[in-house]
Amino acid sequence: MSLAVPLPVALSLLLAILAPRAVRRTAPALAARGLVVAAVVTSGAYAACLLMLASTLMEDLLPLSTSDGGAGPIAAVAAVLLAWGLWRLAGDLAVRRGMRRRLRGVGRPRGSGLVVAEWDEPHALAVPGRPGHVLVTTGMLRALDAGERRAMLAHERAHLTRHHDRLVSWAAAAAAFDPFLASVRDEVAHQAERWADEEAAAVVGDRALVARAVTRAALAGHPPSPATSGTGGSGILHRVRALSHPAPDSERGIVLLLVLIAVAVAEVAVVAAAWLA
Amino acid sequence: MRGHRAHGALAAEVVAALAAAEAPLSPAEVQAALGSELGEDKVQATLVRLWEIGVVARRPVEGRGHVYWPMRDAAADAASRMRTALAGRRPKRAALRQFVTSLRGVDADRLRALLVRLRS
Repeated sequence: MSLAVPLPVALSLLLAILAPRAVRRTAPALAARGLVVAAVVTSGAYAACLLMLASTLMEDLLPLSTSDGGAGPIAAVAAVLLAWGLWRLAGDLAVRRGMRRRLRGVGRPRGSGLVVAEWDEPHALAVPGRPGHVLVTTGMLRALDAGERRAMLAHERAHLTRHHDRLVSWAAAAAAFDPFLASVRDEVAHQAERWADEEAAAVVGDRALVARAVTRAALAGHPPSPATSGTGGSGILHRVRALSHPAPDSERGIVLLLVLIAVAVAEVAVVAAAWLA
Repeated sequence: MRGHRAHGALAAEVVAALAAAEAPLSPAEVQAALGSELGEDKVQATLVRLWEIGVVARRPVEGRGHVYWPMRDAAADAASRMRTALAGRRPKRAALRQFVTSLRGVDADRLRALLVRLRS
């Protein structure tokens, strides 16, 4: 029983470490979906384990309990993690809902599916809804030429038509409850960007054009004196590089994700068996 | 696929081109900005439809039809609401997807070098 607490944490960490490597050469549409399923199943396993462990605490508190208090500190830790996770989950849902409402309220996309904001800061984002629209600033539009604008609009429309907001929301909810999954959430967001890049490249028929649009948009608002130097690691360079190669189509990474999902399910079974025993 | 536009995509590109321009544009100028494969009549029809629903404004130019520009008031209002929506760190992180997120941690010089290579 005492092994039951480290198990879900270990699985979450394993997923967090392996997931980005696993999907490195996987097609982004498959990678994003696979990662979301793995994250949701893993956080579900984490929740189930915490719930079972915490419930032994309740038994201890009952005067008629037959258990003689072996669960003590482990159950307490599980209960705290459970409460903390639920608190974070509620916060994440509230922030996202509020954000979506405020972005929808920015303007109505009459006739064009596009809302333009007169603002120098370069932003372009997809505002989900029925049917959803694109919100873009003049700062972004003026940083791009006509072809790049077309690539950017196709990218944002891909987010809408492929419902990337749902994928990212599921991953964010999983990571809110199970904080060890934060890097998986970020990888899902990155894969959604890659996916939209690939869709935009298919629409405009020019991978280099999309790469140029991404690069120029990233540099917009960054004056030539770079105080921004760092060690790389951002998704932008990866996106640009990926666009300079043919579209990826490997399905290898998904096998590893499937194994992790199976492990998560098995883990719940193990803890459940220990709990019922 | 090249040249094919999804339904509604042309209207968005037209609005984007007008918003990016410094001065009002004629249909021919919009067409030139968007690329050659479009007919001017198609661009013209889109501009008229956008004008009819009040998304863009226009004024006649002697002997050469109209020039068009986006409704700036709506764009200014949108900007102030967008600023409010994106204010603060948590909302920004939760913001759906932006075309590019911040460049924090990226060498801007490396990106500039990449851009030069992409253009050649």
